[in-house]
Amino acid sequence: MNPRLLARAALSTALAFGFALPPAAAQTPIKIGSILSVTGPAAFLGEDMKAGMELAVEEINAKGGVAGRKIDWIFYDAESQTQKGLTATRRLLDQDKVDMIVGGGNMSGMAIAMLGLTEKAAIPFMSTEGAMDIVTPIAERQWTFKSTADDEQVMERLADYFVKKGIKKIALLGDSSGFGQSAAGQLKKVAPRRGLEVMYETFNPSDTDMTPQLGKIKEANVQAIVCWTVTPAGVVFLKQAQQLGLDKLTLVHSYGFVDQRYMQLAGDAAKNLLLISVKFPVGADLPDTDPQKARIAALTRAFEAKFKRKPNQFAAQTYDAIYLARAAIEKAGGTDRAKVRDALAGISSWPGVGGIFNFSKERHSGLSKDDLVLVNYRDGAFRLADYK
Amino acid sequence: MEQVANLLLSGLSSGSVYALVALGFNVIFKSTGAINFAQGEWVMMGGMVAATSYAAHWPLGLAILCAVLAVVMVALLSERLILRRIKKPTALAVTLMMIAIAICSKSLVMLLLGKNPANLPGFSGSEPVLWFNLRIHPQTFWIVGITCLVMLATHWFFERTVLGRAMRAVAAQPEAAALCGIEPRMAMALSFGLAAGVGALAGTIITPLTLTSFDHGTVLGFKGFSAAMLGGLGSLPGALIGGVALGTLEALAGGLISSHFKDAVAFVALLLTLFLRPTGILGRGAVEKV
Repeated sequence: MNPRLLARAALSTALAFGFALPPAAAQTPIKIGSILSVTGPAAFLGEDMKAGMELAVEEINAKGGVAGRKIDWIFYDAESQTQKGLTATRRLLDQDKVDMIVGGGNMSGMAIAMLGLTEKAAIPFMSTEGAMDIVTPIAERQWTFKSTADDEQVMERLADYFVKKGIKKIALLGDSSGFGQSAAGQLKKVAPRRGLEVMYETFNPSDTDMTPQLGKIKEANVQAIVCWTVTPAGVVFLKQAQQLGLDKLTLVHSYGFVDQRYMQLAGDAAKNLLLISVKFPVGADLPDTDPQKARIAALTRAFEAKFKRKPNQFAAQTYDAIYLARAAIEKAGGTDRAKVRDALAGISSWPGVGGIFNFSKERHSGLSKDDLVLVNYRDGAFRLADYK
Repeated sequence: MEQVANLLLSGLSSGSVYALVALGFNVIFKSTGAINFAQGEWVMMGGMVAATSYAAHWPLGLAILCAVLAVVMVALLSERLILRRIKKPTALAVTLMMIAIAICSKSLVMLLLGKNPANLPGFSGSEPVLWFNLRIHPQTFWIVGITCLVMLATHWFFERTVLGRAMRAVAAQPEAAALCGIEPRMAMALSFGLAAGVGALAGTIITPLTLTSFDHGTVLGFKGFSAAMLGGLGSLPGALIGGVALGTLEALAGGLISSHFKDAVAFVALLLTLFLRPTGILGRGAVEKV
């Protein structure tokens, strides 16, 4: 036989036996696809959320993966543009053929657009965004879950506080994004049953002047103003509220605004501000009886060791989401999509960093109002202002 | 009553900034016939550079000066390195190139200065001034004052100085101006420097009120363009009238009708101008003699 031919034959035999028959232990990895916005206007949140996922994936893989299979994590930047988010979703579904998607571009509107594709593809989607419309109506959201509290629960929690303080007339100043509009929609349901009178105003996330809206609110003589945005426009709101002398009222910002950088930009104008938040930013202030306290401290240590900066609750949100995915896949005993979906819906009293998660077939949103507190910003740190 | 007065004041301050942005559009339109879509980005860049320098503990005045100079440099470099290399610098070619420069400027700011919004302190604090029943942010006075000064200075420059007249000559009749020894390219560079300087200044005076970040420029540019169209493209007093009119309309629509309509006002104003009076309030139609 010609020596070159012989060599080729030997090589192909080796290839056939060496690679076509993998050893039983090296199973195919579990593919989890994630989409967040680490550039564009929403990049503010995206960087930390991506870091939270990175940390969770790394921890899980270091401990041997999910049921012996490593996680192969595929990440795309949606650049804060819904269109880019949708393109990335298609790529995850068609090219990367992922087993599950975690993270919806850190913009509620984008997550809602994305779930049109993921529902059709019948693939489990764990959103890390806020708006309640991501998981309702449940009949059209069979495959979609989220690792954040529903706006309905947030509004109930706020109403608890207002009732406690004897506040009856409030204004909601929500931005025109999915995040702000979802909040308005939920408050419209919650307010009548809690005896709250609400005036609704909106603004655009790119707005640089809110005097017109605030002037109207001032004339209406409300006792509290609730602002709903994740954009820097929320700082403009605080500054102009102060300028118009509205800072004597109870000013409230949403959980999407709990960010040191915003507080520093607002400076003096944030001194009377309350923010509704998960417990994460005030972990150290929680009573020792709260089981959340130790979990928050543990994530903080791990995050600081890896990234050399402090984590925020957005990182916790995505960290929990990856761990929820793992819990579901483990429970389902594999990546069969329908089984993973059912396993997710069956998760209850699951201790995460953001709170205690309870999913069910009817409720695809994990947290409840018990996981929320009111915080303020004092001397360069968020402090607990209202616990229960 | 108090509400309307507050609205007018807020309209006046945002309108003044629109006027400065519109001024930049007009200066470049006058000398090149092109629409400078990078104008909004230059405004943002001015605010960002000033805020970054201030955050590095530079004195406020120096930070502002540095911002204006930096943006003028960027504009002159864009003109020298990119626009001057266009074989046939028609108005359309320059306009298209400016869109490219706008996108590059935005990305440059994002990469060099980061994605975080930035802030400047009010030039004379942020303690509101009480005037009758109105609480006015002291920065409002700075904005309106600086806008008036800049408007007067540009007017004086174009009407009274040799350089300004030379630029007008180039705009009116490039060949004739060249025969008289005026270099048309020089006029173009000068108009870019001027527009960038005014834009950067606008960016620094508005930042204490509204913050700024790398993605603020596009909207400001659009509002400035609408203001320029409304007032009359190419007319300097038109920029002032268009800017203040647009700012006031926006504030009144937001406060008295609904905040949903606030941003739509600029679009509607632009459409109505194009439908009813394409030359704007003070603009003169281009007359072509054959």
